[in-house]
Amino acid sequence: MKSLKEDYFNAFFSHIYVEESVRKLPRTQEILSKFPSAKIIEIGHYKDVFCRSKQSFTLQHRSQNLILAAKQGTLIYEGAPVCQSFGNDYFYYTSCMMNCVFDCEYCYLKGMYPSANIVIFVNLEDIFAQVEEMLKSHPMYLCVSYDTDLLALEQIIGYAGKWCAFTEKHENLKIEIRTKCANKQYARDARLLPGVIYAFTLSPQTVIDACEHQTPALKERLSCAAEMVKRGIPVRLCFDPMIYLPGWKQYYEEMLRQVYDTIDLVKIVDVSVGSFRISQDYLKKMRRQEPDTAVVWFPFQNEDGFYHYPNELMEQMESFLTERLEEKISKEKIFRWKE
Amino acid sequence: MIYIFTALYCEAHAFIRHFHLEKNPKNTRFQEFYSETADIRLVVTGIGEIAAAAAVGSVCAEYKPKEEDVLLNIGTCAHRSGTAGVFVCNKLTEQATGKTFYPDILYSHNFDEEAVVTGMQPWNREKDGAEAPLAFSDGNLYDMEAAAIYQAGSYYFGPHQMVFLKIVSDSGEAKEVLAKQVEQLMEACQDELFDLVKQLPEILCQDAQKENCLWTEKEAMLEKLCTDMHCSKVMRDMLKQHIRYLELSGTDYVSVIQEMYREGLFPCKDKREGKLRFEELKRRLF
Repeated sequence: MKSLKEDYFNAFFSHIYVEESVRKLPRTQEILSKFPSAKIIEIGHYKDVFCRSKQSFTLQHRSQNLILAAKQGTLIYEGAPVCQSFGNDYFYYTSCMMNCVFDCEYCYLKGMYPSANIVIFVNLEDIFAQVEEMLKSHPMYLCVSYDTDLLALEQIIGYAGKWCAFTEKHENLKIEIRTKCANKQYARDARLLPGVIYAFTLSPQTVIDACEHQTPALKERLSCAAEMVKRGIPVRLCFDPMIYLPGWKQYYEEMLRQVYDTIDLVKIVDVSVGSFRISQDYLKKMRRQEPDTAVVWFPFQNEDGFYHYPNELMEQMESFLTERLEEKISKEKIFRWKE
Repeated sequence: MIYIFTALYCEAHAFIRHFHLEKNPKNTRFQEFYSETADIRLVVTGIGEIAAAAAVGSVCAEYKPKEEDVLLNIGTCAHRSGTAGVFVCNKLTEQATGKTFYPDILYSHNFDEEAVVTGMQPWNREKDGAEAPLAFSDGNLYDMEAAAIYQAGSYYFGPHQMVFLKIVSDSGEAKEVLAKQVEQLMEACQDELFDLVKQLPEILCQDAQKENCLWTEKEAMLEKLCTDMHCSKVMRDMLKQHIRYLELSGTDYVSVIQEMYREGLFPCKDKREGKLRFEELKRRLF
């Protein structure tokens, strides 16, 4: 027998759970064809697997599995109060995929979802239909990559491309594709579409090394963002969440130097700045899942059900970054998160 | 600790012998065998869903499994076409209710995987028909305990802590399976099963141990500091929270505390001074 000691965990997506109702859909078949050696397990409803009690997010993240399902009920959600609306009146988000291949220690998904497995909703066209319905009454600013990182799985599902094509047909729709990805091919091939903003989440390399496991290096992310900026594609830089580490100022200073050296900031759409904050319910779950992770055990301050860094530290961190950015970018383009 | 549940003694015999498990005479309801050194507790549940669920509930209520423990159900089963082998079950369906359960398959193994249907009665191909109990399932295996063990076990274990291994003994000719044959079947694959039994808990132990180590060393120092600061319950929790973060982040807080002792800032004369010193400590550390 192969020793479990040598290789404890199964490969990513070694098991794919597929809702019976979507098993024969072409998109399901297309995704399955990319994993010829995966074990396919038919399920009734994705929640039968995704919502089991007592799951270990940490262990599942070492051997993430895929769940293919149909999204039902609410398909479009109003933007959450802890999220930045960037001055848009009709701010919504949608989850055509749940969970992320990246493993950021501070990620709120660890508090929000009971499982680390990735759910792909294969009925994307139903979401499109609901967006079209809403667009009849007002314009929309829609974040399509919030509870996931769509670009990280673009080669498998191609959803970012499909959203771009959809946006092209609707002038009053603006979407944001947020990512920590550094897919250079995608950056080179991406088309200039006024309704699509690519938002790159940036952190100092020290924070990436300490907390953002399996994510591309800062240099790689910046290189992709720079490629898009160079080609006139709308790019947003998100310094959010800022993470406290002893010596944070030096790390963020160094990060800004790298940003200034790589990207022509005059050409970016805007930037967002915000220190780590999270609902108390999510943090409670995250601490249970990650007993050894410093970033979630910081002695935060609780204010109206949300944890954040103590006021003085939060102010120091956000002001520091905002003031430095103001030296290069006009104030109107800097969105600092405020409750 | 690994908790092994088998329906029959003949399914347990190889494990009892190999791991030198001793009978626990205190358990008068179920046959229970254990070894402190091997960290194994094996229980013979008896046949069927009710017996299996009762045994799991009884043993788990008594010993209260921890996060690093594993539930392992090993037993014989029928196969739709009689294909021999050992199978890891990735889907358990209870025939009576149609409910389905999915243990996590996170760990690599060399067994085949299958879905199993758990029924109340032995499958008698002649009487029930060739497909009867499996007709509504995409699985090929049929047993009488797995889904019940999962349901009872899920009160104590997460899906990543439960493993279901089935060894094919027949294809629906239940009456023909004798105890001796079952023992021989188990012996034929025992080396692979023993390896799994030895290695599974190690995976789950890795994470659990880290946290334990963290606190045993620092607990005494924290206690002294709390006393010297005249901490209330709330302040004590806050201090513990800060120390936990500092420990995890690798900050050298011990030397800062020692320095404050040297400066005569600790011990404090009362709770009020303790609060002031706590603020000073935070100022120096953050």
